[in-house]
Amino acid sequence: MQPEAAIEHVLGLARQSGLAEVDVLVERGESLGLKIRDAKVEKVDQSTSLGLGVRVLLDGRTGLAYTERLEASALRRVLDEALENAELQDQLEVNLPDPAEDVPAAEALQLYNPELEQLSFEELAEVGLEIEATAKQMDQRMVTLPYLGVSRESGEWILGTSKGTHYRQRANSATTYCGALLQEGESRKTGFWFWQMRDWNRAEAAAIGPKAVKEGTSLLGAKSIQNCKMPVILDEYCAPQLLGMFFRAFHADAAQKGTSRLAGRLGEKIAGENVTLYDDPHIPGACGSSHLDSEGVLTQKLSLVDQGVFENFLYHVESASKEQRTSTGHARRSYNSGIGTGSHNLVMEKGSYSLEELCQQPERALLVTSLEGAAGCNSISGDISIGVQGFLLEKGERVKPVDSITIAGNFFDLLGQIQGLGNCYQPYLSKVFAPPMLLDGLAISG
Amino acid sequence: MLADQTIAKVLEHGLRQGADFAEVFIEDSVSRSLDLLDRKIDQINSGNSYGIGIRLLFGHESCYGYSSDPDPAGLLQLTENLARSKRGEERVTPKDLRRAPVNDQHRIRLSPEKVGKMDRVELLRRLDQLTRSHGEAIRQVSASIVEKKRSMLIANSEGLFREDSRQYMRVRLSAIADTGDGPQGSAESPGVLGGYEFLEEVDLEKLAREAAETALRMAGAGYIDGGVMPVVMGNGFGGVIFHEACGHPLETEAIRKNASPFTGKLGQSIASPVLTAVDDGTIANAWGSLNIDDEGNEAQRTVLIKDGVLQQYLSDRVGAAQVGVPQTGSSRRESYKYAPVSRMRNTYIDKGPDKIEDIIRSVDHGLYAKKLGGGSVDPGTGEFNFAVQEGYIIRKGKVAEPVRGATLIGKGYEVLPKISMIADDLELAAGICGASSGMVPTTVGQPTLKIDSILVGGR
Repeated sequence: MQPEAAIEHVLGLARQSGLAEVDVLVERGESLGLKIRDAKVEKVDQSTSLGLGVRVLLDGRTGLAYTERLEASALRRVLDEALENAELQDQLEVNLPDPAEDVPAAEALQLYNPELEQLSFEELAEVGLEIEATAKQMDQRMVTLPYLGVSRESGEWILGTSKGTHYRQRANSATTYCGALLQEGESRKTGFWFWQMRDWNRAEAAAIGPKAVKEGTSLLGAKSIQNCKMPVILDEYCAPQLLGMFFRAFHADAAQKGTSRLAGRLGEKIAGENVTLYDDPHIPGACGSSHLDSEGVLTQKLSLVDQGVFENFLYHVESASKEQRTSTGHARRSYNSGIGTGSHNLVMEKGSYSLEELCQQPERALLVTSLEGAAGCNSISGDISIGVQGFLLEKGERVKPVDSITIAGNFFDLLGQIQGLGNCYQPYLSKVFAPPMLLDGLAISG
Repeated sequence: MLADQTIAKVLEHGLRQGADFAEVFIEDSVSRSLDLLDRKIDQINSGNSYGIGIRLLFGHESCYGYSSDPDPAGLLQLTENLARSKRGEERVTPKDLRRAPVNDQHRIRLSPEKVGKMDRVELLRRLDQLTRSHGEAIRQVSASIVEKKRSMLIANSEGLFREDSRQYMRVRLSAIADTGDGPQGSAESPGVLGGYEFLEEVDLEKLAREAAETALRMAGAGYIDGGVMPVVMGNGFGGVIFHEACGHPLETEAIRKNASPFTGKLGQSIASPVLTAVDDGTIANAWGSLNIDDEGNEAQRTVLIKDGVLQQYLSDRVGAAQVGVPQTGSSRRESYKYAPVSRMRNTYIDKGPDKIEDIIRSVDHGLYAKKLGGGSVDPGTGEFNFAVQEGYIIRKGKVAEPVRGATLIGKGYEVLPKISMIADDLELAAGICGASSGMVPTTVGQPTLKIDSILVGGR
């Protein structure tokens, strides 16, 4: 059965069973990916994926079930399972939202570029081979290129509800990535670069090989530094990563369940005046853009922190109903998961400095260009203890590469310790936009 | 799961395009999860995954595709699309498929289907109560039961045709404590390749006590002063460091790309002579065990390092051929959506001669990392990072106050020679490992051991 027909089929079965509140989410994806090694296409991956998830609301109880088969018998079974699951669940007072009015066309978000579907296997392969050839010529210290791929991917999601919501949105993109392993003496470093956009730019997509190599060579010979406190600068790639690790504190359900340090702090100053943070679901082409969230609620731009003052939590239907308010349109769900909270496109407003100017602010500083894992970052307490790599700066100059060190502090303290913000975002497809940050108060261990 | 005739046709069609090897992997999985959060049964989800993965090998080059649609014409078209860049003359003819039985080493004593969902709900409520009974400072509890039955069929152009199923059961518990200095969490998550009997036999009181006590101790702890120091690693999940820092670089997926510090080191000493490490896929009902791997080979016990000397890599079909080593029955994938590669199963550092008391006593000033949280590694450089979930300062040979915020940073090949003492208290722990073929259940493990010096990140 085709996805649209499958959704109607499930909603029809629900009607017959007298179920008034049911929603059905279908996700479909297609991708073609190539991996390159030794001047050959070493691996080709081609896939079509499909999944359908059902949510039944029964007197405030929620039941979920999913299937990757869209035959009539599987659809009957998935509805029955969801119903059975709902009967066991505790009441959460969730009601299916009424259909949103005046929903703009998904096309206005510019998420789908039909030209990308024309990208042939041959063209993707050519670009991959060019990345390898240019990367290999760059530096004698290259050991190997363990990760090198080119792909195009497209996906769509369709939401149908028994209350009459019907929304379909599709998106696609093209990606190239390159990881280069370099060695000098005992020092081994991996340099990584990627490109991901919705508009195909062959020259830019193919130019990442030398960038990956340069990224790796610049860190060769890196050494640890002694325990100290000095200003730390996160570049435009690391800053959004750090923000993403702690962002769940802004979810209303986290606050309601006692796992957010921001609980009870609405209207208070939680950051410096230079911090303004908002969620914008309507940025053309951005990864998280959407007119409806996955419960069918109309999305809107939402201010989270305005000049340091905490303004709003993110809500879905359930967390909103607990506080007798309406959802802010931040439900997130995939066909095989439950409902969670999530931002669409999280934006921290830019400052005025270029990265170079930001680096020149302190006499001495650590520029962080790579965060190693997130396990030492505790999203509940805000504690940060994480391995980093980067460069020791003196008067803005990179005097030596640094590794085998950790930075430590607390995210919620850091929000008040941002000394300066850069004026750029990382340029590729993303859903978290944060500029480079100059931070004070982090401890460095080495 | 798919007609034998269709499978044979797809394999034949693959070879007709010039492939040296063709494989069909069919999966039909049933999953169920029940989550308790904030004293409520918060989410119950169940589902069915189904799909067919087709792999063609042209020498060492591979093409992989999948679909959830069993339509034979669509599968033949997918096979053709996969081969389009490599297409050549037919070089090999397929062998007749021979159904070979699988010897089930991991018996299920109580099928999860025979137990009502209400029993699971009651178990979760009991875990919540038991954990909260450790005091008011326990502010939040979440618990879940995750179960999955993967049924699969693997057939290839060399005549292999095998069917197997794997039943997984896991329980997760996390507790958050706050004694005034901000919330601290801890988690326990044992699991087995087995049936519902696991949930009946697991010691819920002990599970709740361990989660609650760790969270409470850490909530009252101060921050550690970072620096290079000796570290005593606790048994069980502490083995995750070996998994990340040494296990991954010993997979042929890294070796074949020359992207591992252990490339070309077979037969050489790479660790302290006290260290022996094993990856064993045959341990009865262990979380990372298999009857057959995802290419249809018998699971094996593979000695990786013996007395400090590198013995074997973990290999899959392509990796073994490229590196020139035997296959070890370690080819794995999360689902039909992934081509299989060499992965770990139950990986552990074997027990040694020392006693934990002697190890602690040998440290003048250092860290006892009793329980680790997660971490990651760059296999090419061996650089790793791990969070310490429960840590204590060791002062003058004695375990002293608890400390929070510790992270261990190092390079696997540099740490191995610095392991100087290994205790006799080997324990295994369940985990989920992510790599190029997806997330697979793996066991890590080790006895308590001492690393003479390693960087501990702190404040």
